[in-house]
Amino acid sequence: MSVQGLDIRRSSASVVGSLSGLRVVPTVSKYIDTSTCIGCKACEAACVEWNDTGRIQTEQTGSYQTLPTLHAQFWNLIRFNEKEFDGGIIWLMRKDQCMHCDEPGCLAACPAPGAIVQYANGIVDVNPDQCIGCGYCETGCPFDVPRFHPTTGKMAKCTLCVDRVSVGLEPACIKACPTGCLQFGTKDDMVALGNARVAQLKANGFAQAALYNPDGVHGTGVVTVLAHGDHPDWYNLPTNPHVPWGVKFWKRVLRPLGVAAVFGAVIGAFAHYTKYGRKEVKGADSRDANLPDA
Amino acid sequence: MSAATPRRPIDLAVVTAREKEDVVVGNEIIRHNRSSRLIHWTVAVFFFLCLLTGMPIWSPVFGWMAYLFGGLTVCRILHPWFGVAFFLASGAMFFQWLLDMRLEPSERAWLGPKLFEYMRYQTDDSDVGKYNGGQKLLFWAVSLAAVGLFLSGLVMWFPMAFPLWLREFSFLLHNVTFILFVVAIVFHIYLGTAAEPGTFGSMTRGTVTRNWARLHHPRWYREVTGDKASRG
Repeated sequence: MSVQGLDIRRSSASVVGSLSGLRVVPTVSKYIDTSTCIGCKACEAACVEWNDTGRIQTEQTGSYQTLPTLHAQFWNLIRFNEKEFDGGIIWLMRKDQCMHCDEPGCLAACPAPGAIVQYANGIVDVNPDQCIGCGYCETGCPFDVPRFHPTTGKMAKCTLCVDRVSVGLEPACIKACPTGCLQFGTKDDMVALGNARVAQLKANGFAQAALYNPDGVHGTGVVTVLAHGDHPDWYNLPTNPHVPWGVKFWKRVLRPLGVAAVFGAVIGAFAHYTKYGRKEVKGADSRDANLPDA
Repeated sequence: MSAATPRRPIDLAVVTAREKEDVVVGNEIIRHNRSSRLIHWTVAVFFFLCLLTGMPIWSPVFGWMAYLFGGLTVCRILHPWFGVAFFLASGAMFFQWLLDMRLEPSERAWLGPKLFEYMRYQTDDSDVGKYNGGQKLLFWAVSLAAVGLFLSGLVMWFPMAFPLWLREFSFLLHNVTFILFVVAIVFHIYLGTAAEPGTFGSMTRGTVTRNWARLHHPRWYREVTGDKASRG
């Protein structure tokens, strides 16, 4: 879903985005408070409805969870994690979706110019018309979010309802949430809200409560309040997410070196010719057998 | 029709070069028979198809190459299949040329300073047989690269069937192998055309002149002609 008229901060396989420099827009963010999520799945339904992703078969995995994992036609999944803790069972619901990283690994890995963009407001989005279906974004993503549509071969994921946000509406999932555990606003406001909620949780006996906004990807456009903030893995979140080193090394070191080597080899061959010239065959040289040998 | 240009109804060297190698026809020596040239050009064609469809996916600097095939998506679809064809052709070439390409102990030095001496035209070639150490090294490097590119390419073709570490490793292996390959092939083409006159004909017509053989591959020249006195 590409939205016309939004400035682009970063674009895949491109040197620069398309910032006009004229419009100043704040970075936006979702706020997810896992401690007040009741697992009603209203956000799941709202996402499917607004984005017209169609109906797909749910899978029974022994819990309330709709599907085992995200799907090209299911961008918002409440994960129902069960964990034994303090002599009992705790039920940790977490809204799994694109995290809209400040440093998006999908965008870094993408070889198709403009197929993945990061708008000026921080939303990371896919342009299906530019997507070539290589799947590299799945390798680049530290949160295992991008999914390929089985028939179109195009990548799909949460757009943070950029079409709604660009006209001043909140994302569909936020609008549907009945408990207020989902909020939407500027990144600064959402971080402040998260910190306030974390302080509240700490005062109420959750000493390890934390706001999940990992530095490894320079922060995410989805900040998540975790009551057990010392164990992001209990919520199915990576403890220290970062763009895979192989992807970084490939794009930042090997590729520029390689481009230089390709041109360098051609220039080197020319340089060799000017310095050493040809290795000429001595004497008269012809296929014609009548010519005397040298 | 002037009398000064007599017609040659049959070019004996070309006819001989269809089947035979390492034989003298007049002032020419057959260097590569038809099947040898065919496999070389098959590998070369698929190499360039891989190059032209792969480089635009690799870096947008080469994005213009994608238009030769109808866009980047077409390249993404074609590249793996060209890769499979390149791998199969390289395999055929490997077994066809293997016997001639065994490295002799004295040729190990080509991996180091001797290659640069050769590029400065300073080597003593008097004991060079049908292939010199550099050519043999290229053969082994290309064969090894074909395997590396194929295996890493398989992972990149179906990335989600493999674990993350293997995907990362494959991206890097495919990159490094490709970069070294291109540098080697640029010099391979340069040496075979501009730098060493008379060489390209061995891959088109299949023949070289006696003098060419005496300069570049003296031992091969002696073996083929039975000329024991001649020293390169």
